[in-house]
Amino acid sequence: MALRELSSLEKFLGLKKPNKYSTQGDRKVPVLQSNSAAGLVGLVTIATHLAQEAKRPDLLGKNAEERAVVQQWLEYRVARLDGCTKEDIKIILKDLNTYLEDKVYLAGNHISLADPLLYYGLHHIIVELAVQEKEKYLNVTRWFDHVQHYPGVRHHLPPVVVLRNRVYTSGHH
Amino acid sequence: MGFGDLKSPSGVKVLNDFLADRSYIEGYVPSQADVAVFDALSGAPSADLCHALRWYNHIKSYQKEKGSLPGVKKALGQYGPAGVEDTTSAGGDAAADEDDDDMDLFGSDEEDEETARIKEERLAAYNAKKSKKPALIAKSSILLDVKPWDDETDMAKLEECVRTIQMDGLLWGQSKLVPVGYGIKKLQIACVVEDDKVGTDILEEQITAFEDFVQSVDVAAFNKI
Repeated sequence: MALRELSSLEKFLGLKKPNKYSTQGDRKVPVLQSNSAAGLVGLVTIATHLAQEAKRPDLLGKNAEERAVVQQWLEYRVARLDGCTKEDIKIILKDLNTYLEDKVYLAGNHISLADPLLYYGLHHIIVELAVQEKEKYLNVTRWFDHVQHYPGVRHHLPPVVVLRNRVYTSGHH
Repeated sequence: MGFGDLKSPSGVKVLNDFLADRSYIEGYVPSQADVAVFDALSGAPSADLCHALRWYNHIKSYQKEKGSLPGVKKALGQYGPAGVEDTTSAGGDAAADEDDDDMDLFGSDEEDEETARIKEERLAAYNAKKSKKPALIAKSSILLDVKPWDDETDMAKLEECVRTIQMDGLLWGQSKLVPVGYGIKKLQIACVVEDDKVGTDILEEQITAFEDFVQSVDVAAFNKI
């Protein structure tokens, strides 16, 4: 999964030459072979490196605060989202819904590395949500739909259909 | 269409509901549609209209690029949810929207128009963005399954016929014969096409034109390069 994600990320960043990756350990942590012998280990490490390689430092944040927020969400993806349980999912969605209430992107007013990475990580959850749940976490759904349509983001994942006419009009606010 | 009077609280409330599951007025990128609505507001929406406020702050950050956002500024009555009475001063729009109240029964038809229009706007915005990078030609790798009538069909001849199909932007690749059962083999042939010039329907048409050999054609795989 992580390898397909990294390949999609390369396409999003416009990197022409795909890198070779391998995995290590039971959790299949991705490894990027580089000049150093051990290679770069870890999804966030590799993703950040790719963004630098593609000369897109804006994706990591335009100022110190944004950079911190981007790192915060990248960490969130790996520490809390990957390998979470069913109960955790509800908490995660609720947290995200509250956070995204007044934001279009996760960090600042432009897309950052956090948006596609969280999109890849959340896809398997969102695709399973029923219509009512998608409306319950309306802000997450809105953000998700926005990111999946952002040019260049969606490669290996099928699009999740988001209904435009809200069926359950009560239940939010 | 339209949000009603955007200078009044009720209009802003319509805007708020509209933006609950949308990031932008139209499509998935900021466009002149957002500029048009932004300019029509008398100020930032209040904090309880959280979706409108979120959108407002976001669009405000694009102030410097206002002029260069894609799309064409239309009258306010052209945006927003269907079925809302248009109270903007443009006379033509008001006349056209007189039927809005009657159209509630046929709400789904309006919706189709709206979604079709939104799709078009989005495509236009995307294409405008894409056109800034002319060097990239979108290519796809397609794997076609060509099925013969029976096991006596000469597959070598069939392959020859398929390969004679020449089009600008089409490149034939590897092929192999895959047994399907009862001695019948299907031809799996790969090709690389330029999206703008060649489509799968044209390819299918041309291949099935060889009626003596080909029973049907399917797309087995389609990958963007």
